[in-house]
Amino acid sequence: MPHPYAHPEVLVSTAWVDEHKGDPNVRIVESDEDVLLYQQGHVPGAVRIDWHTDLQDQLKRDYIDKHAFAALCASKGIGPDTVVVFYGDKSNWWACYAFWTFKLYGHAECRIMNGGRKRWELDGRPWSRDPEPTYPATPYPERDPDHGVRAFRDEVLRHCRAGKPLVDVRSPGEYTGELLHMPDYPQEGALRGGHIPGATSIPWSRATNEDGTFKPAGDLEKLYLKEQGLKRRAPTIAYCRIGERSSHTWFVLKYLLGFQNVRNYDGSWTEWGNAVGMPVARGSQPGSVAPKTQPQ
Amino acid sequence: MNDARPPIERLEAVAAEFAELEPRERLELLLEFAEKLPPLPAELKDEADRAAHRIAECQTPVFLWVDVVDGRVHLAAEVAPEAPTVKGFVSILIDLFSGAPVEQALALDSNVVSRLGLLEALGMMRMRGLQAMQFYIRNRLRAQNANR
Repeated sequence: MPHPYAHPEVLVSTAWVDEHKGDPNVRIVESDEDVLLYQQGHVPGAVRIDWHTDLQDQLKRDYIDKHAFAALCASKGIGPDTVVVFYGDKSNWWACYAFWTFKLYGHAECRIMNGGRKRWELDGRPWSRDPEPTYPATPYPERDPDHGVRAFRDEVLRHCRAGKPLVDVRSPGEYTGELLHMPDYPQEGALRGGHIPGATSIPWSRATNEDGTFKPAGDLEKLYLKEQGLKRRAPTIAYCRIGERSSHTWFVLKYLLGFQNVRNYDGSWTEWGNAVGMPVARGSQPGSVAPKTQPQ
Repeated sequence: MNDARPPIERLEAVAAEFAELEPRERLELLLEFAEKLPPLPAELKDEADRAAHRIAECQTPVFLWVDVVDGRVHLAAEVAPEAPTVKGFVSILIDLFSGAPVEQALALDSNVVSRLGLLEALGMMRMRGLQAMQFYIRNRLRAQNANR
């Protein structure tokens, strides 16, 4: 019998969502890369939260603050006890990003609909083209961000110097330094290519199946623990380019594999690869920051 | 496409259409454009060098055929259905440039995404990918115009 995920309750099936789409204690949230997909068809009753225009501060590079987050939740009819179910395109990549942002502000009940839009479509479930529904505004408490899920640059630098585990979830070409951006995506500006010294390369999509669902626990353990040597008890930081793909891996490590202390470095390569004086490793090996004081 | 107006005038007309709308409604209009992107002509479907028409800068698969025939612009495109934003924008670019004399097409040098007021609704990160397609068409036209 396959053994379960560490926190199986955070994943729900399309069938569960279909049954609960009218449940007043449940709010279904679509978060996509392509901003028109929601309009083209969404899970009936779902609201939309955009990773960029809703969750990012439009002036400085940061997430929205706690006031804006509380106002956003209130406007979507999300109260502090609402069960929020995220789903979206691209194997729930952006859904995990929204999930992570909700955890940053301490929302208790968050779920991911396993397989996202793709699985909903494959299961032949209905799409709605209605305008985004409005729900009665709910008071939402303003809570300070939980930095237990978020890593900042200086913390990552200390983590790196201490030789603690880092996971680089970008494509192999971005890791080695051949590419400054994702293959097929626009250049998003990093002045240096490579990775944070010591980081292990595990592209995020290795955690997913063709249909957008997550791989079974046994496969994930084999990949992250046995093959790549990560440890559930070791404080671990994941990063990518802007913290989007790594929020997917963060979700996998924390909820599916039960890592006790894993954070997402959302500054990621677009910060590290542009900041002055940061250590950088090139090539396919993790490398290290240890200065070579003596010739080998 | 038998729009006799130069691309700059066509852009003004479509920009006026977008300007009347709220940012969220602009997305509805963009979706309408996505839905009327003409299907790829059959003769291009089997083209052996299909990979050469793929836009490398773009996220989901986008294939663009940019040709100058008798001094006029010919465009065709195929975009994956899971990328309606890209599809809508390509559809607008085809409307803007198809059939126009190449010199007139090259004279359009404003940023179409921001001219249509889509920046606010799409955000900066998405705008770059769309802009890349406008640049791609422009570069192909310039190269072919130079070879004439």
